[in-house]
Amino acid sequence: MRDTLRPRSRARTVAGTVAGVLAVAVAVTAGATFLPASEPRPVLTTTTAAVPAAGAGVYGPAGGPGSVKALQDRLRRLPGDHQAWAALGTAYVQQARITADPAYYTKAEQALGRAARLAPGDFAVLTGRAALAAGRHEFAEAARLARRATEANPYGAAAYGVLADSSTQLGDYAEATRAVRRMTELRPGVSSFTRASYDAELRGDTARARMLMEAALDDAFTSEDRAYCRYYLGELALRAGDLGAAERAYGEALRASPGFLPARAGLARAAALGGDLERAAAGYAEVVGRLPLAQYVVEYGEVVRKLGRDPSPQWAVLRAQKDLMAANGVRDDITWAEFEADHGSPDAAVRHAKAEYARNPNMVAADALAWALHKAGRSREALPYTREATALGWRNALIAHHRGVIEKASGRDANLFSSLATEYNPRFDPALPSLARFT
Amino acid sequence: MELRINRRSLIVLAAVGALSASSFAVLRPEPGGASSHREAPMIAGDPRNDNTDLYAFVSPDKPDTVTLIANWIPFEEPVGGPNFYTFDTKSRYNIKIDNNGNGRPDITYQWTFRDEDKRGNSTFLYNNGPVTSLDDPNLLYRQRYTLKKYDAKHGWTTIVKDGVVAPSNVGPASMPDYAKLRGQSLRKLPGGGVTFAGQADEAFFLDLRVFDLLYGGDLSEVGQDTTKGYNVHSVAIQVPKNDLAVKGDAKRNPVIGVWATTEKWSPDGYKQVSRLGQPLVNEVVVPAGLKDAFNSLSPDKDAGIPAVVKRVTEPELPKLIEGIYKIPAPKTPRDDLVQIFLTGIAKANGPIKADLNSQILNKDVDPKTFRPSEMLRLNMSVPVEPKPNRLGLLAGDAQGFPNGRRLGDDVVDIALQVMEGAARTGKLVDALAAGDKVDANDRPFQTTFPYIPLPSAAAVNTR
Repeated sequence: MRDTLRPRSRARTVAGTVAGVLAVAVAVTAGATFLPASEPRPVLTTTTAAVPAAGAGVYGPAGGPGSVKALQDRLRRLPGDHQAWAALGTAYVQQARITADPAYYTKAEQALGRAARLAPGDFAVLTGRAALAAGRHEFAEAARLARRATEANPYGAAAYGVLADSSTQLGDYAEATRAVRRMTELRPGVSSFTRASYDAELRGDTARARMLMEAALDDAFTSEDRAYCRYYLGELALRAGDLGAAERAYGEALRASPGFLPARAGLARAAALGGDLERAAAGYAEVVGRLPLAQYVVEYGEVVRKLGRDPSPQWAVLRAQKDLMAANGVRDDITWAEFEADHGSPDAAVRHAKAEYARNPNMVAADALAWALHKAGRSREALPYTREATALGWRNALIAHHRGVIEKASGRDANLFSSLATEYNPRFDPALPSLARFT
Repeated sequence: MELRINRRSLIVLAAVGALSASSFAVLRPEPGGASSHREAPMIAGDPRNDNTDLYAFVSPDKPDTVTLIANWIPFEEPVGGPNFYTFDTKSRYNIKIDNNGNGRPDITYQWTFRDEDKRGNSTFLYNNGPVTSLDDPNLLYRQRYTLKKYDAKHGWTTIVKDGVVAPSNVGPASMPDYAKLRGQSLRKLPGGGVTFAGQADEAFFLDLRVFDLLYGGDLSEVGQDTTKGYNVHSVAIQVPKNDLAVKGDAKRNPVIGVWATTEKWSPDGYKQVSRLGQPLVNEVVVPAGLKDAFNSLSPDKDAGIPAVVKRVTEPELPKLIEGIYKIPAPKTPRDDLVQIFLTGIAKANGPIKADLNSQILNKDVDPKTFRPSEMLRLNMSVPVEPKPNRLGLLAGDAQGFPNGRRLGDDVVDIALQVMEGAARTGKLVDALAAGDKVDANDRPFQTTFPYIPLPSAAAVNTR
């Protein structure tokens, strides 16, 4: 068990130092960002529970405004209910995702720790701990726990979901495919179809990815899940250069769930790639004002820079965020590897990329390491990594572009990959690399 | 089906029931950087595909027929608009009957649904004006269904086309005479019988907190009908007894086993995701780690899972009750529970000396093919009890649960008593006589098919 006190006390210190930049944004975030305007609604709802049998995926008697509070009340009455502890822990993991406030991971860890002390081998407890580890980007640990959960309950779909997610991050695509297949068999629906779609996309089968995302949309019951599926249909279109279809899909996502921020970012992205940089910058300003996620901040900064303005305010926000996340025990080397390679210190980029690749040897990490090495003047060293990044057939214009550049810098024929980048996405813009990164 | 959904497993649902939309059903950005890790939705509540209740009883007003009712989507808040509750148009909703006791379905009724949505993009309203009949043009959204029947002799046949689902009750201003709408939604079946699909009152009554026992609580805080005021979605069918009996002969072969399932569409074919036979099966039969497996299996596999059998023969609940109430737990192995939950009651099956509701009693059944399995078993030849007792069989009313299940059977109290051995001893355990202190549904049952009360149109917290 991690020492839960240490990260929290450090977090306070760091939070103090970056308060001027971030505190307001994060506070606003927690209350307002992704929450649809129509909330709260009394209709039955899905949740994002990772622990099916622990009841975390619950809808139920409406009018339970403080969901976490309801669990806490129950646990005061029944402190031996390990499933409720698991559900509470899972609830905190979800809260962390919703609010982008990693402090919830500490709470999740405490609740799941209680659950684990009561019933260490219970599959719901294991699945909750796996979800927490995945949320913290500790994918090896997540995969290990998820595997144990599937041994305890070979029919529990949620654990296969975490196993698929973490295997993808670990670059074990065969395992991810198997887990997704099993999950789909056990629980066809939005959770498994969205993952199967991603799996197909990573293997370059865009048509199947789209079909599965549409099937997920068909199954999606809550407006938020519908927005999620619409958004990724938009992303699939955008990555293929069809900006019109992308904008329509983002718009539909927002109609499904007006507060759904990723779709607002998507609209800004489509505007930028379509050449309307002013509209894009205004869109990003709004998005980042609500939720200063690193991804959005980098995209904003790149658009600002392309407009000929100074992106340093964006970069400052980013660095503050980096400190805050690190203080809370969330490692995110990949973001900084990509950022430093494109906009900062290539040597720092290499350090981050190596750390990331050592932990999570996936295609994105391989690409980031290759690009960082190239930027640091080590293009030959970059070759095996950029080849690895393109091996699975993913139709990712940025990665193909990187390979073309690196092959060329290494004195090899780069034409194939440069043309692939254009084939994958005719609207790809190397000056806006982060807009081509998948979300 | 997963624990959270199946209403038999409201244990935990009660705990986390309040995890509602406002805090969870939103997209989760990632904490550290959205560029690296896509966050797909985790397993979500899927109430449209989760069986919550099943009833099987001889029709009180038509004793030559049997009525089967299956429910989905628990806890429908009556004023849940404008997003009203619907059946899943990509799923298959089944009621299955095993009349020869081999654990496999001999007859299947399967409902599938489609939307008829006239709202376009101009309105999200369910109706634009009063709806006085099912084909009222003011009703902008309705669902239609197809009902197919399978039996070995005929294969699959379509017995209802374009049936209309009784709509969600959106209140007296919009639907001044809801009873009329339900009446119009009933469809006669070829060869006799009638069917229904639509919204209905949640007829199940219980205090969920009774199951706090399993988590170290006690029975001091019960007496509230946790499901009161909510609606569900039901399918119901009433058919001649002979339609369900082995060789079409309900006189020689009066016992049937019934369970309901839900199959979801996937790119690789339909997958069973939920299953329900007897009520409370999750509390008393299936251990937590096996619920997912149980939901995906057909009953003929049950006896092959030792953990399920052990859970029945060595139940946990009586031990917990002994710890709190000093009522001695009956000796194990509990062969009486095997009779009730896995084989049906017959002298040949165990210590309960009665021939009641095991398929093994059917004259045209080969006992060698009989296989213990979890399903709701009904002896259709037991005459209709004019004054049903909520405690059913345990109170000498053999027409009630666990011989089938009527809408008014108090299954929680019965199950508690059964776990304490009352079915074997024939004596109720007085200390637990109060049970969950919820003895009846809040709304009266109807006297004719489909019996289940009309859906409520009043917000739960205003009642």
